[in-house]
Amino acid sequence: MSTLDISPIALPAPRQGRPLVQPQQLILAALLAFEIAIFSLIGSRFLTWDNFFQVQRLNVELGLLALALTPVIVSGGIDLSVGSLMGLSAVLFGMMWRDREMSPWLAGAVTIGVGGLAGLLNATLITRLRIPPLIVTLGSFSLFRGIAEGLTGGYDNFTNFPKSFLFLGQGNIGPMPAQIPILLIAAAGFWVLLHRAAIGRALCAIGFSPEGARHAGIPVERRIGLVYVLSGLMSALAAVIYVSRVGQAKADAGTGYELLAITAVVLGGTSIFGGRGSIIGTLMGLFAIAILQNGLRLADLRPELAGILTGTLLLVAIGLDWRPSSRAMVAQAGAPGSAAEEFDMKNSQVAAICAVILAAALIVVGGNFMLVKSIQQGGGGASFSGTNGSGGGRGPAAGKKVTIAMMPKSMGNAYFIAAQKGAQDAAKELGVELLWDGPTDTDPAKQNEIVDTWITRGGIDVIAVAVENRDGIASALRKARDKGIKVVTYDADTTPDARDFFVNQATPEGIGYTLMDSAAKSMGGKGEFAIITASLTASNMNEWRKNIEARLKEKYPDIKLVDTRPCDDKQDKAFSETNTLLSKYPDVKLIMAICSPAVPGAAEAVKQAGRKDVHVVGLGLPNQNKAYVHEGITDAVILWNTMDLGYLTVLASDALAKGALKPGDASLPGGRIGKIEIKGDNILLGTPFIFNKDNIDKFDF
Amino acid sequence: MSALLKLTGIFKSFAGVQALKGVSFELMPGEVHAIVGENGAGKSTLIKVITGAHQPDAGTLIVNGAVIEKNDPTIARSLGIAVIYQQPALFPDLTVAENIALRLERGGPWRTINWAERRTRARQLLDRVGANVSVDAMVRDLSMPQQQLVEIASALGGQAKILILDEPTASLSDREVDNLFRVIRELRAQGVGMIYISHRLEELPQIADRVTVLRDGSYVGTRKIGEVDRAEMIRLMVGRSLEAVFPKIAVPLGEVVLETIGLGCNASGVCEVSLHVRAGEILGLAGLVGAGRTELARILFGLTPADDGQILLKGQPVTVNNPSRAVQLGIAYVPEDRRRHGVVLEMPVDANTTLAILRRIAAGGLINFTKERQIATTFVQRLGVKTPSISAPVGNLSGGNQQKVALARWLAAEPIVIILDEPTQGVDVGAKAEIHRLMGELAKSGLAIIMISSELPEVLGMSDRIAVMHGGRIVGELARAQATQEKVLELALGHTAEVEV
Amino acid sequence: MTSSSDATLSYSDEQGNATWTRYVREISVAAAYLLLLSILALFTPRYFQAKFAASWVDMAPVLVAAVGMTLVILARHIDISIGSQFAICGVVAGLLARNGLPMPAVALCTIACGAAMGAVNGIFVALMGLPSIVVTLATMVILRESLRWGRQGAFVQDLPRGFQWFGQSQFTGQVSLVATALIILALFAWAMRWLAAGRSVYAVGSDQEAARLAGVRPKRVVFNVFMLMGALTGLAALLGAVRFPNVDPNVGQGLELNVIAAVVVGGVAISGGRGTLVGTLIGVALLGTIGSALVFLDPHHPGERSLGAWERAIQGLIILVAVASDGLGRRKS
Repeated sequence: MSTLDISPIALPAPRQGRPLVQPQQLILAALLAFEIAIFSLIGSRFLTWDNFFQVQRLNVELGLLALALTPVIVSGGIDLSVGSLMGLSAVLFGMMWRDREMSPWLAGAVTIGVGGLAGLLNATLITRLRIPPLIVTLGSFSLFRGIAEGLTGGYDNFTNFPKSFLFLGQGNIGPMPAQIPILLIAAAGFWVLLHRAAIGRALCAIGFSPEGARHAGIPVERRIGLVYVLSGLMSALAAVIYVSRVGQAKADAGTGYELLAITAVVLGGTSIFGGRGSIIGTLMGLFAIAILQNGLRLADLRPELAGILTGTLLLVAIGLDWRPSSRAMVAQAGAPGSAAEEFDMKNSQVAAICAVILAAALIVVGGNFMLVKSIQQGGGGASFSGTNGSGGGRGPAAGKKVTIAMMPKSMGNAYFIAAQKGAQDAAKELGVELLWDGPTDTDPAKQNEIVDTWITRGGIDVIAVAVENRDGIASALRKARDKGIKVVTYDADTTPDARDFFVNQATPEGIGYTLMDSAAKSMGGKGEFAIITASLTASNMNEWRKNIEARLKEKYPDIKLVDTRPCDDKQDKAFSETNTLLSKYPDVKLIMAICSPAVPGAAEAVKQAGRKDVHVVGLGLPNQNKAYVHEGITDAVILWNTMDLGYLTVLASDALAKGALKPGDASLPGGRIGKIEIKGDNILLGTPFIFNKDNIDKFDF
Repeated sequence: MSALLKLTGIFKSFAGVQALKGVSFELMPGEVHAIVGENGAGKSTLIKVITGAHQPDAGTLIVNGAVIEKNDPTIARSLGIAVIYQQPALFPDLTVAENIALRLERGGPWRTINWAERRTRARQLLDRVGANVSVDAMVRDLSMPQQQLVEIASALGGQAKILILDEPTASLSDREVDNLFRVIRELRAQGVGMIYISHRLEELPQIADRVTVLRDGSYVGTRKIGEVDRAEMIRLMVGRSLEAVFPKIAVPLGEVVLETIGLGCNASGVCEVSLHVRAGEILGLAGLVGAGRTELARILFGLTPADDGQILLKGQPVTVNNPSRAVQLGIAYVPEDRRRHGVVLEMPVDANTTLAILRRIAAGGLINFTKERQIATTFVQRLGVKTPSISAPVGNLSGGNQQKVALARWLAAEPIVIILDEPTQGVDVGAKAEIHRLMGELAKSGLAIIMISSELPEVLGMSDRIAVMHGGRIVGELARAQATQEKVLELALGHTAEVEV
Repeated sequence: MTSSSDATLSYSDEQGNATWTRYVREISVAAAYLLLLSILALFTPRYFQAKFAASWVDMAPVLVAAVGMTLVILARHIDISIGSQFAICGVVAGLLARNGLPMPAVALCTIACGAAMGAVNGIFVALMGLPSIVVTLATMVILRESLRWGRQGAFVQDLPRGFQWFGQSQFTGQVSLVATALIILALFAWAMRWLAAGRSVYAVGSDQEAARLAGVRPKRVVFNVFMLMGALTGLAALLGAVRFPNVDPNVGQGLELNVIAAVVVGGVAISGGRGTLVGTLIGVALLGTIGSALVFLDPHHPGERSLGAWERAIQGLIILVAVASDGLGRRKS
């Protein structure tokens, strides 16, 4: 009997039941090795402990979510609400700490409890009412974020947490970031849960066949409930660590994390249909994504490539992994043969298409790499993402070329594209090397990550940042200063101790007052107006709004602000919101749009409504608004010369690096702009500029 | 007269496994040609070759004298080939009328749909097979036999010249089977050729003209039905002669293990069920499909908890409100639908075997893998499960071996009472005998067994006592000695007067 | 009569109700929408003079995309890459128009561009049999990042006057936008009910293997559905873009989840095979009205947190209530 032969062979003493790594994990491991090899070749300082730990620190929150999602997906479910729950937990944590004056630790514990409750809500709807998890968590995805926004009105945020609490996210234990042990413990816990515990076995059975599991006496509802509660707990824990790392609690914490975490899990070989899954795979998937992002930055390649390659990797991974699992056969009620036959054919197709994709991806990477090389050889030190001046040998006398790393609030924003143009001009004039990199996604903590990567990369003299998150980024910038890198902020400032100088294009008062004054001028000193802002959470805009309202109170008693609506930085949303405002408040005489896509959006809405009596003023770029200014819909577009802002930032950074600019200086030779005034540690670009019918055609950005 | 359908030298393999090795087959007009063979003999594969679901690796397919080079479900349908699948291939979210129409209607994607006509035709076809099912009902809301009838109705409507019936009677009650046979005879008279596949060999003399036997993907032979008896057929199928008697061993009965008093559940239509089963006893639960037998089993196992009456376990009243409670109490249930409920196909043999005893192999919540292997190996050997390894997925095993794994899981749980729901349905003859032998042994070891079966010889052969259900109630109990097929059937049909309707 | 026919008999009795119980979700979501409208009528009747029509103009692109998503979900798949496709199609429309292509040609090319992207998803999902949620997750990221790389977020500007021919400020332009969306919806609703092609989508979503045996070609159907999804996304992007004299490349982020939410609220089962486009229409209308309704119902005082900040929470609540009522109903029966 063949069965008799099995046991002696299959029982070599204390080995565990299943192989530790499955084929997909081997593929992934190979990919990881490949990534690491490539990046240590083309990236600078990629293969250092410092960088390794840096990558891990940034990965902890995402890692916790991915770990929690692995059993969820193994059980055949999905949880889209984890990112939103992070936002809600962060806000609750902040409220408890600030408004209820709890200690951060108590607040953290309560937050995690609330996270568990939120998970329980998902669990109840899924198990009691038998609603598909995708839909339940799609609903709670909106609900949790919505509650967070509602509670804070969108703009309230919580900062100034005590040092002891911030240590959790920013400190080090030995060489290791303080939050790493939490991730390790969680990973070990989930590994045991999924691969060693009876619960994990039950989850696999449920994932393969819920009815089959029920018939085996497994308490299906309780097990499924458990994974969603765990996922809620982990989301809240991740939120607490996130707040500690970023130093700020806001409703937008964790935006977009759910899809990243799912990507990591699926990349790690967990089947999206349930049943099969691996914690080690998830961790590897996580690292593959993180290393890709980090490595591309260190190799000065375009950050967009990270997303493109991650997506490609995902396709390749599932393509290679997709075996004719018996699941498909069962589902299709046919004999095992029928499905197998189709898949036989498919596997070759899969292999072919995967090969093509992989080849294409390699060509892209390789192409970029070659490009970098050739530029470096020919242009004398230009970097790909830098798109800078290749000034050749006209460096400073010391012979060493100054390298400035400059970061916009986000890539792909017309405003910063103009700033980049100016910065490049300055770089060309001065012969400095300019790195230009910034966040491409909506993650508000991304800027820290890039600063950290720059620190690791080395060879950077000055970091110039347009700050998105005032308190959040301070810790990263302080670290840069500790390493001897000069720090300049522009566009928006951080805490004063975290930077050397702030290139101040205009103070919030300046902007707020100018906006309000030109609005009042357009309105003739009385009437109603409304504001369109980017998002209720954007901190600089909230600052401007404060000043607008202050000016309003102080000088214009006959003018009334009726409402403020967010437009998510999108033109079409601004259009629709303006439309709503105009119809709800028929007496509104002016729309003030304080983010750049909103100005043309609002103007178009006014135009299409045929409301000749309504005016638009706003903060925006001249090019986008020329037509409306000429048509007389938009009265004034207020902005400093953004190109000059970029130009001046590079100028100041260069001077700072060469020691030409020191604290206490009262002025700076401003190159083509002329002499620049310095007030304290603020380098002043000047007062905001008002573009109107008469002058707007003179500008092109 | 020339053959409607002729296959010669058909070969087909899946991933290296040879499923058909040069099978030949012939079907004449107006003939019912049975194909028999153990599970895995290649019957289903052969059918799929005929219907175009599979492409053969070699061999020719001739329909109406024309060689078919390329075949797929659409082409096969246009050639007048229709199939009634063993597991109804219906659309759960569509109405009965549309399900039938999708099988019958032809034409491009741009044709418009005549809903009225669809409903009328569906009604006619359903009436013809004697199915009282609304044409507007969603198929997902129908019971398994109702679905089978819809399946049959849709196959009939196509004016098929070749009709393939793959175990059509597996889930039908006797009355429905009679109805089906009547329709088959009508079709035969009209010159339709039919391929009839069944594990119920005793049906064949009633309906078939010829029988072809397959074994391990090879053609064994074709006989006129009058020339072979059951024993001969079995000999051809298994390649050896088999004792076709039921190995019921007389076992001294112990105390009453499970007793129900007035048990009922509104949702599943079971009411006032009082029965008991003793240690060492096999209680046969007979009845037509839909009589409430499976529903009763589901109540006892806590899948649909009772809302009326009492369950006593060894004299103690217990509440069984979910399966995990049932497992704790020592109640085991081997369900009817083995692929969906009995085993988890994707999981390996060992994990399946220990799935109901995770608590026991996982001290402190962590699985003891050595223990798991030991238990699995023990049961694989004890039940004679044929598997390449205990870590092979159960889905790779044959139906009979899957059923043994399902049994192994519950034997490992060491229950005091076990409910077997159609334990040998769709299982080949050899495995069937083994399962019967095993049941005898289990009873001998003092287990109380409740066996649900639609196969009367099995019920009569294996049971110590037979309880017959009808309309959700127990309508009679027969001791082994006094039970005959006729008596059981009479009870199962309710009142004799209504049987004729 | 035997027991089994008893069972079927009692079943046929239920069928009388079944025809309308099948549309309970559509009816109740419609009731919720009407309730919302009557609340608006009661408290801020201005809404109907001013915003009601305009809100439908805003919804037009979402509605068109939702038609495609309904098809995809009916076929038991999902497409979360449509937000990225939407942005790319908008930019493509803008670039083509700026290069002097006449508007009808621009429209065709945009729709073709969408269809091509949908076809890529279709190849992976239908032909290679990869899970759609993962494939479209991947293409979502790839397409969005490629667009960022290519455009760097810059608006497409200096479009010819003709670009706005559809969305121009006149009343007729707005009507034509909404009308286009509604015609598309009606056309597809008709086809899904009365054309064999439409029924085959239901068949495939209900049971792919059964469909194959019934002579439907599931791979082809799924591929076509994804391509249609892409084409409709292209059309939606066009409807969105022609309202403005320039194209914002950052549009469409989060569109996929909004559209899926609307489709689900409208009663389309995520497990495929069940649901109607009428439901989708009502779902889009309900979720699309909440935002502006909140602004209108808000007794806003400056300085206070506005009701509008709760928009997303209320949308989430609607989704959960809609599906939970479904679940509750199922539990009772």
